[in-house]
Amino acid sequence: MNHILGTVVRLTLAAVLLVPLGAAAGEVLDRVVSTKTLTLSSDAAYPPQSFLNDKNEMDGFDVDVAKEIAKRMGAELKIVTPAWEVITAGRWGGRWDISVGSMTPTKERAQVLDFPAVYYYTPASFVVHEDSKAASVADLNGEVIGVCGGCTYENYLKKNLVIDAEGAPPFEYAVTPGEIRSYETDTNVFDDLRIGDGKRLDAGLSALPTIEEAIKNGYPLKVVGDPVFYEPLSVAIDKGDAEFGAKVAEIIAAMRADGTLTRLSTKWYGVDLSTVK
Amino acid sequence: MPAAIGEYTDQPWFMRLVLFVGVTAVCTASDLRGTMLGQFLAPAIGDPLESGWFGRIAIGAVAGAVVVINVALVRLLPFVAQIGVVWLELLILFLAFFYSFDLSYPFILSRLPFLITQGAFTTIYVSLAAIFIACLLALAAALARLGSSGPAFAVATFYISFFRGTPLLLQVYLIYLGLPQLGFVVSAVPAGIAALSLCYGAYLAEIFRAGIQGVPAGQAEAAAALGLRKGLIFRKIVFPQAMRLIVPPTGNQFIAMLKDSSLVSVMGVWELMFLARTQGRAEFKHLEMLITAAIVYWIISVIFELIQARIEQYYGKGSER
Repeated sequence: MNHILGTVVRLTLAAVLLVPLGAAAGEVLDRVVSTKTLTLSSDAAYPPQSFLNDKNEMDGFDVDVAKEIAKRMGAELKIVTPAWEVITAGRWGGRWDISVGSMTPTKERAQVLDFPAVYYYTPASFVVHEDSKAASVADLNGEVIGVCGGCTYENYLKKNLVIDAEGAPPFEYAVTPGEIRSYETDTNVFDDLRIGDGKRLDAGLSALPTIEEAIKNGYPLKVVGDPVFYEPLSVAIDKGDAEFGAKVAEIIAAMRADGTLTRLSTKWYGVDLSTVK
Repeated sequence: MPAAIGEYTDQPWFMRLVLFVGVTAVCTASDLRGTMLGQFLAPAIGDPLESGWFGRIAIGAVAGAVVVINVALVRLLPFVAQIGVVWLELLILFLAFFYSFDLSYPFILSRLPFLITQGAFTTIYVSLAAIFIACLLALAAALARLGSSGPAFAVATFYISFFRGTPLLLQVYLIYLGLPQLGFVVSAVPAGIAALSLCYGAYLAEIFRAGIQGVPAGQAEAAAALGLRKGLIFRKIVFPQAMRLIVPPTGNQFIAMLKDSSLVSVMGVWELMFLARTQGRAEFKHLEMLITAAIVYWIISVIFELIQARIEQYYGKGSER
């Protein structure tokens, strides 16, 4: 179902995107400076990166990074929350200026978006029910593995993951799943895993920080083995405005140099993910 | 022989026997030994989990008997009381089902105000705006389909065919992502209202057409014979009678739209479904918010059902005896 829907959406987007509509050079930067507003597109269901907190405001690591970028541009941060595939489709048409959404800068996405700066690296890990007998990643060969549809974790399981960003560490395909089940988002994978070991899923593949957050909230899960790959995660902007990209890259470099990224990463993840270990 | 079988099947006890066997079979198959009912019968069957097939069938039979006795007792009441009692029983079973999820009620209570003031409010106003525009579109399309102008007929049928023939979610994407390619950057709420009105306008056009055609031609002919003008005949003679046929299915469509309005959440509109999916995410408590949203949707639907009943009553005046 998810696959058919995904195909339909992608075909629609492909048809719609035949007409190019990027930003003109300097246009986004001018807009941000003149309106003193930086509009961020963000996923409201991706804790702890971005989520609705108990005051019904957007919060999380990505949101904090975006707030800091806005501050250093002398602008107020405004947040909109379109669906993920609407963000990754590109051709934003000026609806929002920037995505700080833990996006992996893949080749496919680079055709419709610009990735000016990698701001942290997230480890991808396999997760199982706490009753599972799997002791290492190799034990998961031939099992039923759940994953978010259309994301890099699914690409990893299908063995067609390409991360062509600078500084991406090399990786190996350590697992051949018996069956891949694709879900709308990672948290749905945890929901099916928590029902019981092997009931619907034998394992899942997701971001280590997201898994740890679920475990902290009482999900009966455990992490298997070491992370299988590290994903560089980048800020994304609409194609065509190199001046804006350069400004964002400059700010991220400064935030890494003065320890702001390390501080925010430690605040949300308990560890420094701003560089690869 | 058919007559002889009918003799039995028409008896009330026969239907009750069928009900008893049916409920017993379902409860036996679904193995209720681990539930409260099993605990309750422990004095008779011993430890429910040790009781094997004997325990399963015994619990199933008790459940079957409870249902049959309940139905027999309820049938003794006046009709309206029967409806009330069965509604209440089903509601209690339903709440017991939700209760079994072991939800965090303080969490629901703390998020409920925002779910209603932001979520339900947005859902209702998007739906109301969309149903209003959809009705106008539908009336125009239905009249074009019934008229004698070829181009108008072609435009109306093309419109109806496309918007009935493609998924609403796809139309939402097309309008939200497609229009900016032509230079119109519409924001999420207007794009959502446009998609909902266009889609439901197509369905309603067919309902309106059927309603207008359902008024006997003799009505318009009689009015014409009295010398009324064409526009007046439609407004005062045909339309009010057609409304009687149009209102029930339109109410149906509106309730369907109320729920389909959740599709605009893909554009990031903070309506009921969007908040239900996102509010609990940070604490990994989304089941709480999904169930709460289900109940809020249901309550809104019930309110609209009641309003629909009032409108039906109004347009049904002419055929009361």
